[in-house]
Formats: sequence, structure tokens, C-alpha cells
Amino acid sequence: MNDIAIKIRNLKKVYDNKFEALKGINLDIPKGSFYGLLGPNGAGKTTTIGAIAGLVNYKHGSISIMGYDNKKNYRITRGLVGLSQQELNFDVFFPIKKVLEFQAGYFGMNRSMIKERTELMLEQFGLKDKQNSTCRELSGGMKRRLQIAKALIHNPEVLILDEPTAGVDIELRYMLWDFLKQINKEGKTILLTTHYIEEAEQLCDQIGIIHNGNMIVDESTKNLTKNNSSSKILIELEEVSDDIKINEFDFSLENKIMTINTKHPNKDLPIIMSKINELNLSIAHIEIKKTTLEQIFLKLTNNEILNK
Amino acid sequence: MKYLINRKFFSLVNRETQRFLALYKQTVMPGLVTTALYILVFGKALGSKIDANGLKVDYIQYIIPGLIMMAIINNAYQNSSSSIMQAKFLKFLDDILITPLSGIEIAFGYIIGGILRGGVTGISIIIMCYFIAPGFSIDNYLTTLLYILLVSWTFSSIGVIVGVFAKSWDHIGIFTTFIFMPLTMLGGVFWSVKWLPYPWDLISKFNPVYWMVDGLRHSMLSGLDSDFSIQLSLLICLLFCLFFSIIASYLVSTGYRIKS
Repeated sequence: MNDIAIKIRNLKKVYDNKFEALKGINLDIPKGSFYGLLGPNGAGKTTTIGAIAGLVNYKHGSISIMGYDNKKNYRITRGLVGLSQQELNFDVFFPIKKVLEFQAGYFGMNRSMIKERTELMLEQFGLKDKQNSTCRELSGGMKRRLQIAKALIHNPEVLILDEPTAGVDIELRYMLWDFLKQINKEGKTILLTTHYIEEAEQLCDQIGIIHNGNMIVDESTKNLTKNNSSSKILIELEEVSDDIKINEFDFSLENKIMTINTKHPNKDLPIIMSKINELNLSIAHIEIKKTTLEQIFLKLTNNEILNK
Repeated sequence: MKYLINRKFFSLVNRETQRFLALYKQTVMPGLVTTALYILVFGKALGSKIDANGLKVDYIQYIIPGLIMMAIINNAYQNSSSSIMQAKFLKFLDDILITPLSGIEIAFGYIIGGILRGGVTGISIIIMCYFIAPGFSIDNYLTTLLYILLVSWTFSSIGVIVGVFAKSWDHIGIFTTFIFMPLTMLGGVFWSVKWLPYPWDLISKFNPVYWMVDGLRHSMLSGLDSDFSIQLSLLICLLFCLFFSIIASYLVSTGYRIKS
């Protein structure tokens, strides 16, 4: 039994202008996982997604979807993948119902299936009232919903979403998050690229970070946060004395505020509290600052903002 | 070719057909109106003043096949080239490229869309001619339909190739203005190449559109000179049609300018 939904081996992509977008990436996305592919602009996320979906030609490396090579068995693999691109792209000649019907038809569905899936998608994404409107007549949020409905029309095993919440309002963002969590729970493998790190943190159980065409991170969200975390405990004291020493910990004291660097703040806090008690110091305020995924991301990608 | 007979492929053909039928005022009607005007001006008004110079048929009857060919060439080419260009421009071509359709199926989906538009336009003009051109009749329906099919197919394939190559709408128009229009006009739509002095009559025979126009003319009209070879003309049309279909299929299959 193959438990890998998407398997990428040594994938390289060099564009005609000699730009090396991917420098031999390897990636395993387990079936049923919610995988977040992060990276700065131009890192190679969209190229990777395009190569998986069949929009980007590549000469080096291999990609398999559910065990099928996406070049040799492209007819099978394309039926297994649904792609929602970052840039909204619609057939402007037809009403949206027709757009969905044609899209279903391109995947070889019969008439009754086309009708059934189209109705379901229109219903699920709240587009039923607009079914006879063309894409140009839809609001931005509706267009984004249609884009995802189009990707799901053939009920693919793997859903790829390139920046699905870019430019959408908070209400729709939460609605989409709930929907994506739901279909992931039902068994769909989801590959998400996003610039909203919070989104990845909320939704993804696995994170990959791509930087300058290389995969620099590929691990569970939990491990990534745990292994790269350098949380701080901030303790504001009522008064200070010169001989404050807590030998076991890396700490500093400035303006009555003790800053203790630790990887395990919850575990270390009681120990620190007892040490402070031993020193007969009064505490005015305690705060734990945990490293966010965003900070980890910035650190791993050597972001200039962090360096400053 | 067996791969073409499937639901996916017919969905694309259906989409292409519905597109030009939905836009019939911009697609089929202009060909009819233009041809009707040509018949009125060149046939009825000027035709009687033109010395037929051994044409053996009325001048109005003589120019109709050429006008039909002109409309077919224009419509078949415009359909596939503009449809691909629009899909590229608005990026919804990606929606087709990510489906299980093969490159050959995608190319032929667009080619057949062009063939149908060329065919619908050509047949509509023929029907119209029965009403506006007295004495109009067709000598051989089978070869007439065969020419309509092969010429639509050839120029629809060229449309796919140009649509794939084109980076702007200008590129689509350039072919119509600077290549197809001169080839059609110099291919004997309004006159017989026999009227030309040597060596222009011989040079004209290297123009593929000459073989298409005169081929259709010999299929539609009886009593013309018998030194024209319909077999050779059909063979030329078939070779052109196959040649451009193969190029179009190759370009779409490799993703030239449509994939990264």
C-alpha cells in the first residue's frame, strides 16, 4: 500500500532564461495530510505546483501522484489532482454553471455526473444564485470560491491550492479554512502554498519551506515549532538586587525585567518561580513569549527583516 | 487517433462549437454579409460590364466559389487562433492543460472548432446564394463538401499554430492582412489566372489558395475548362491539411509557449 500522495525526487527546473527555479528538490506528502509549502516570493513554490499539475515542463527528476508517474501516466495523475491557481482565471464566454460543466467534461465525466457535481459545487460554494452570471459579474470573493469549486469539480484525491486566501476578506478566509479542514478530515490530501504563516500554522500538519529552489525544511508543524523554538519567559520584578543569579538558565536583567531564554517555557517556569521565591523577590508580572512559525520562517529563510 | 473518441475531447469540441454559435453575430454573420456585398457589387453591378473573356459561365457564378473560399479561410483561421489567444491571454487555457486531455486532443479540439465554423459559414453562404444569385447551382456536392472540409481544416490548423505562437492580438491580425488576404486575392477569386501574362500565370500556381479556389470552382460549376486536375488539387489540400495539423499537434503537445 502506497501511503504517499505526492512524491518528488530530484526535481530540477531551469527556465529558458537560464534561471534555475528548482535545484533538485525532494518531497514526500503523505496521503490525507494537509501540507503547507512556504517560501518567499520567487522561491519555487508555484513552479513546484505547476510541475505537479502539468503546467510546467521539467527535464530532470520525477514526480509521482498516488504512485503514478505524472509524465508516463499523466491521464491518471491529472484526474487525481485538482489545482486552484493564485491568479484567477476564467472562461469569460459562458455562465459559471457552464464553466463548471465544461471543466467536469474535460475530466471525462458523463452527463449525469457532470450535472450532479456542478450542482453540488454551486451549492457548496454558495454560487447557486449566480449560476447564470458570467465570471465578470462576480465579486472578488465569489471568484475565489469559483476557482476552488473548479479545482474540486472532478472530486480529486489531491487538492493543490496556490495562495487561496490572497486578497479575500476575513469572513471568507475563515469560511475557506473551515471548508478545507473539513475536506481534509474526509480524506483529501491538500497541498497549500501561502504567504500567511498563520494560515499554515492553523491548517497544516506538515510544513515544507522552499528557498532559492531548495527544500530547506520538511517536517511536521509540531516538530518544526518545537525544534526551532527559542521561547522567552519575561518576569517583571517589584524590586531588584545585584546578586540575582539563576545558574541553570540563560537570563538577562534590564529595567526590572528578567528575560529567560528557554526551549521549554512551561516546564521551566515552576523551577524559575521557586528560585525567585528563594531569593525573596516579588513578581509584578509574568509573560511567556513563544516563537511563532512566522519567526521560524524568517529565521530559516535568512530574511533581511530579521537580520536588521 | 483512437484517443480522440472520448468524452473529454468532445467536451472541448462542444465548448468550441458553443463559443462561436453564441457569438454568431461576430462569427458567422460577417462572412454572410461580406459575401452578399461582394456578390452585389462585383457580381450584379460590375459583373455585367466585365468581359468574361472565355470563362464559359456568368461572372457572378464564377466568383461565388472564390468568395466562399475566402469566407471559409477567414472564419476557420479566426476561430482557432482567437480562441487559443483568448484562452492564453485570460489564462483559462491552464484549466484545459491540467486535465487528462493529451496535446493532440487539445489541438484537434480547437481545430475542429475552426472546421465547424468554416463549414457552417461556407454552407450558410451556399444556401444564401440560392436566394441572391439567380441560376446558382452546385455540380458536385461531394467534392464541394470535401473542399470545404479540407480548407477549413488546413486554416483552422494554421490558426492553432499562430494562436500558440502569438504574443499579442497583432500577431493574429498580421497573418490575415499580410498573408491570407494577398494569397486569396491573388489566388483567382475574382478572375482566372489564365488572364495573367506569362510568367505570372505560372507563378500563381505556386499559390496554394489557387488550388483551393479553383478546386471548389470546378466542383461547383459545370462546363469549365477540363485541363484543371481536381485530383491534384484535392491532394494538395490534403497534404497541407495534414502538414499543418501535425505541426499544431506537436506544438500543443510539447507545450510550446503555453506551458512554462
